[in-house]
Amino acid sequence: MPLWTLFGLKGGNASTSWPRGGPDGQTGVLGMPRFHPERCIEGCERCAEACLPHAITVAEPGGPAKLNVDYGRCVNCQLCVEVCPAEAFTASHDWAFGVRRREDLLWAEALASSDAQALKSGIRRVFGRSLHIRHVDAGSCNGCETELQALNNPFYNLHRLGIFFTPSPRFADLLLVTGPVTYAMRGPLKEAYEGMADPRFVMAVGTCAVSGGTNGGGYACGHGLDGELPVDVYLPGCPPNPAAIIHALLMLLERQSQRIHGGQVVGGAPP
Amino acid sequence: MNALLDACFWLWIAALISALVRWVNVARVLGGIGALVGVVGALAALPQGTVTSSFALTLADQRLAIHFSPEALWLMGLGLIPAAFAIWLSTPARSGRPGWLVGALLSLLGAFGVYAVQDGYAFLIAWELMSLGGAVMLLSERLSGQAGTCSLFMLALLEVGAVALLLALLLLGHHAAGTLSFAGFLASASSLSPAARIWIGILLLTGFGAKLGLLPFYEWFPGAYASGSGASGALLSGVVLNAAFFALSRGLVDWLPPAGGGSFFLGTVVTVVGVLSSILSVLYAFQQDDWRRLLSFSSAENAAIAVTALGASLIFRNDGQNALAGLAWTVAMLHLGGHALAKGGLFLCADGVYTAGGAYRIAQNGWLRRAGVAFGIGALFTAMSLAAMPPQIGFVTEWFTFQTLFQGFHLSTLGGRLTLALAGAGIALTAAVAFATFVKLLGVGLLGAGESSAPRIPRRYGLATFLLGIAVLVLAAGMPIWLSGLDNADFVQFGAHSARAMTTDWILVPLTNTFAFISPSKLVIVMPLLALIPLALLLNLRRHGLRRAHTWYGGLRENAQRAATTSLTFANAMRTFYSFIYRPTLDTAREHREVAYFIKRLEFDHDIADVFGPLLFTPIRHGIWRLARWLRALQSGDLNFYLALIGGLLVLILALTLR
Amino acid sequence: MAYAWYPAGSRDAPEVRYVVHSGAAPLQIWRCRPRTPSLPSLAGIAPLLSWYEREITDLCGLHFEGAPQPEPLVLLPGAQLSAPPLEPGTEAVMRYTPMPPTMPEVSGRMAEDVQVLPWGPIRADVFESAQFDYYYIGEAILHYHPQLFFKHRGMEKRFEGLTPELGAILAERVSGVGSIAHSLACCQAVEAAAGCAVPARARWVRVLLAELERLYNHFHYFGHLSHTTTLKVGDAEGKLLEERVKQVNAMVTGHRLLRGLLIPGGLRREPNLVGISEALRPIREEALRYTAMLEATTTHLDRLITTGVLPRRVAFDQGATGPVERASGLDRDLRRDQPYAAYGEIPIQITIKEAGDAHARQQVRIAETAQIFDIIDRVLNEMPEGPIRARCDPPPSSEGLGWSESPRGSLYYAAHVDHNGRLARVKIKSPSFSNWRVFPYTVHDTNMMDYAINEASFGLTIAGADR
Repeated sequence: MPLWTLFGLKGGNASTSWPRGGPDGQTGVLGMPRFHPERCIEGCERCAEACLPHAITVAEPGGPAKLNVDYGRCVNCQLCVEVCPAEAFTASHDWAFGVRRREDLLWAEALASSDAQALKSGIRRVFGRSLHIRHVDAGSCNGCETELQALNNPFYNLHRLGIFFTPSPRFADLLLVTGPVTYAMRGPLKEAYEGMADPRFVMAVGTCAVSGGTNGGGYACGHGLDGELPVDVYLPGCPPNPAAIIHALLMLLERQSQRIHGGQVVGGAPP
Repeated sequence: MNALLDACFWLWIAALISALVRWVNVARVLGGIGALVGVVGALAALPQGTVTSSFALTLADQRLAIHFSPEALWLMGLGLIPAAFAIWLSTPARSGRPGWLVGALLSLLGAFGVYAVQDGYAFLIAWELMSLGGAVMLLSERLSGQAGTCSLFMLALLEVGAVALLLALLLLGHHAAGTLSFAGFLASASSLSPAARIWIGILLLTGFGAKLGLLPFYEWFPGAYASGSGASGALLSGVVLNAAFFALSRGLVDWLPPAGGGSFFLGTVVTVVGVLSSILSVLYAFQQDDWRRLLSFSSAENAAIAVTALGASLIFRNDGQNALAGLAWTVAMLHLGGHALAKGGLFLCADGVYTAGGAYRIAQNGWLRRAGVAFGIGALFTAMSLAAMPPQIGFVTEWFTFQTLFQGFHLSTLGGRLTLALAGAGIALTAAVAFATFVKLLGVGLLGAGESSAPRIPRRYGLATFLLGIAVLVLAAGMPIWLSGLDNADFVQFGAHSARAMTTDWILVPLTNTFAFISPSKLVIVMPLLALIPLALLLNLRRHGLRRAHTWYGGLRENAQRAATTSLTFANAMRTFYSFIYRPTLDTAREHREVAYFIKRLEFDHDIADVFGPLLFTPIRHGIWRLARWLRALQSGDLNFYLALIGGLLVLILALTLR
Repeated sequence: MAYAWYPAGSRDAPEVRYVVHSGAAPLQIWRCRPRTPSLPSLAGIAPLLSWYEREITDLCGLHFEGAPQPEPLVLLPGAQLSAPPLEPGTEAVMRYTPMPPTMPEVSGRMAEDVQVLPWGPIRADVFESAQFDYYYIGEAILHYHPQLFFKHRGMEKRFEGLTPELGAILAERVSGVGSIAHSLACCQAVEAAAGCAVPARARWVRVLLAELERLYNHFHYFGHLSHTTTLKVGDAEGKLLEERVKQVNAMVTGHRLLRGLLIPGGLRREPNLVGISEALRPIREEALRYTAMLEATTTHLDRLITTGVLPRRVAFDQGATGPVERASGLDRDLRRDQPYAAYGEIPIQITIKEAGDAHARQQVRIAETAQIFDIIDRVLNEMPEGPIRARCDPPPSSEGLGWSESPRGSLYYAAHVDHNGRLARVKIKSPSFSNWRVFPYTVHDTNMMDYAINEASFGLTIAGADR
């Protein structure tokens, strides 16, 4: 009969201490492609044709760039990087894309950094050390779920940050939704939100929940959470990796700062 | 005899006659008033008991004498309170009312006789009248197709008991120099031989146990009670049960010597039978899904607890501990007194559910919600009492039972101490399962949401239950006062003022307040005061905004009725745990559509087996049939055979006379 | 499997296709062109076809006479569509009011005492959404009905009109933990339609990616199974090994779930194979030690042995696939029977167990895990150099069938290309769809305590079944 306790103890501490130092576990992970509008070739629309979720659309003439890039719809497929002849889209490791406002995911020219938007919500004081999350799968492909389930593995060990998943919305502070909200899950999602006591927050995890992504629309799906529930944090990604989810959660708790404004990384690379 | 008790008797006779001529309402009123008068008369005649009055009747040259001893008055008085309500409300099966009233009044008159008569012949007549009345009640209601079989089974087992009683009385009479008067029995009790006292004791236990529901006789309870109504149950479990117990206690305490060889053995047998019966009855009670069956098994359980206390009393008396013997005996009386009230209340509650819902099933239908506060209080108090929750009378008597059994360490022999200790453990098991049983009855039977358009329980049942619930509480809270009524009886039987010693001021103690104490009188004041705290919190809540959300059911709005706990599922875990007693069977048959794998219908049955049915009664029945088949040979119809028989008999007679 | 499509793009001429896989024999494809929108049901002969027929009825509007269970499958009770979604030229609109599911009626003396438990669709912990309805008494489950398709997203409809390249991208997102299996089957379907030959190097890399996906899925399975048997350290270790493999995935492809590499015709870019062997070696050692410990832990095995027994007959009749069927004695694996990518050049050992209980399912997966490392070693050693992408343009009005053995079983994509060279109809048969059909037959007449373990031992996804 093997001694599991001994086996576990000999394994040592497998947790990273990220973001307070330690590896983030995302070596090599590609994030959202960076947009360089100045390199765009006139009349070339190959990226817009190649973009399945229509994150890249041709802009009206006279705007700051020839393309509208909505990172809330981006699924990190890197096709735009491959088809662009002028390297207007380059691959990057920017995956910490959690934002508070949906507009921050739209690529915008100058960084009118409204970053001092320190909401005097007092959320850090109340929930900073202990946040309880109720997760609802509103029709995801299971990719977001596997990354969310990874949060409790020994490497990320979400409990060390004081964040827990709970079984009932009654105990939850945060409603974390994945999936584009299928017709059948709309009702249960609303029930879950109604079942939470104030103060409550909502986080849209994954491109499907932010905007519908590749799976949204059609006869069975909605287009993410906008219009369904009031959202406090949007985190696109397909799926967002556990480090990005941790960053977004800590951002909600005001323990980390938002890195994305106007669709671009501000404040340097993620730690 | 007391004038009021006299009036009670004659009012019942009048009611009986009215019922026979089908003046139903007159009979109900007269019967109910008679019962009330009987209550007042009984309670007024405590603590001394009534004087003996003789009548000009003689039965087999035994003069008929009537006398109520204090414990008889106590048991009868408390048993008649629910009987009054039962007679007034009558059976919900309207077409059977005249017949039911006849049966009910016959039972009551029989019970009256059992409590009062002082000689063996009249006693047997009264006893049989009581049983017959019960059968008439059940048969005239025609509430179930099985009524005939169940009543027959009941009568058969009661007759077995009656035969045992007959033998016991004959043995006692033989020993008392040919007289069948109870005074004679009392006088010659001390000279019974050990073997005789054991036999007589066991015969008495069998005879009265058939009515009380000791093992194996409780098997007739579910069938018989389930073919009747709640009102029948209130009578059978109230006055009638109390009468049987009174007779048993008188038999074992008065007619048998207090100490000496064999008395300890008899006391142990009584205790063991009581404990085992109570455990088995309550285990079966827990599994029932019909109000009447559950309550009937519970009656058997409570009677068995009283028998256990009686056995403890015999053991204490044998050891010379008269105060403790008096304590145990008093406890038994208190227990059945309180039980009659509470059980009557719940049986009437069952009738209310039946009148409103058409069935006696224990299922969540939201009765309590729609029935009003009075009904709720009554149901709650009576159920609390039977579940032995403070401050009700059931709790008081259960506590007293435990305190009595725990004081078994005063006994001088190891056997006695061991017996009472094990009895205490057994009663503890019973109490736990009884608690669960009544949680089930109240929770599954009365709570729940139910349909809003469903009928409500009629107000008269609510009122009756409410009054009985209040009576239960009053009995408990005022126990220090009521105990003095039994004090004289204790002194007469045991020579110790046990009842007086059971209370100090407003505190109840098991003879000494250094051992333990409770005070339902004070609890009745303190508990409502404690309720102020949650009430204050509730009022405070109104100041803050309250947002209501649906019960979380995984995201869908569930129909509470569909997902409600049922009677079977509540009790199911115990079936597995006690499967060596229950031997449960689960049968699921699946009906398929044209192809296997596609299930269309599930046929489901989950059953438990009786203990004594297959082990005892079925073999006996088969034995009797075999004997009957064998004796059928005598009915051969052959003339030559008959002539040969007659010839043989003549030869035999010739041989006998020529000797 | 079976599906329906409209060859001429008009709703009056549907065609129903049946694909039959029996061991190593070539796949058989039967076509049926009904003149009326009504066909005889074959579910009486092959019970597993019942679900396919119900799906065809829901999505394409064809009716099957004599179907034993004609209730809608893909649409929840109370969901009403204005038109069948896959009918050409319709835009179906959904109207939905929740209603309880159809359960068999209960009769008998104690019928009213049977309890109903509707569990879900939102369950405790991070799980996919589905509702499970039980008839039960205390611990004993009398009947079990999984109400899936809460997550039905209409993915098959989404494929219509896409270019094959975008189709492969979409296929990755049908079932997240089966991204490679789905996109591989999709690519192979398109390649079959185009008749293009995928370069050798690409085929070998595809095997590597498929086996990496199988590896992290199996580790997740062991972790989750240990979680249900409350073997805490086993749970943590399984999830940790899964994390390590996902990090290797990120190193190799830039995506933790291996997305973004497959395209019809080959691969989009070279994977980064530097250091992969060194990264996998400690994982292999730890995995072998871990699985040996799992097989030696009696408390864990106690919960698995005789739990959720799937008889061989039922597995065959109901179309079980993958480790579930191999644990019940059925010897089928697409990698060996119908080789694709470079599997034809790699001998695959198939482990078959007869017991059919949860323990057998664990044992099959343990054997597969050990074999994955061998396959990866072989791939890294024998991978040829060369181009990684060939031109792949399916001609107009062509069709192709692609398949792959996902970690959960056999996965098929049928791709029909329209006259513009775009996808007109894609049919997805995921292994979870087949296995969820089988699962209830292991739950009837078992008990509640074993249910979670049984479900974990099947290791199914709901996104794959619901699409």
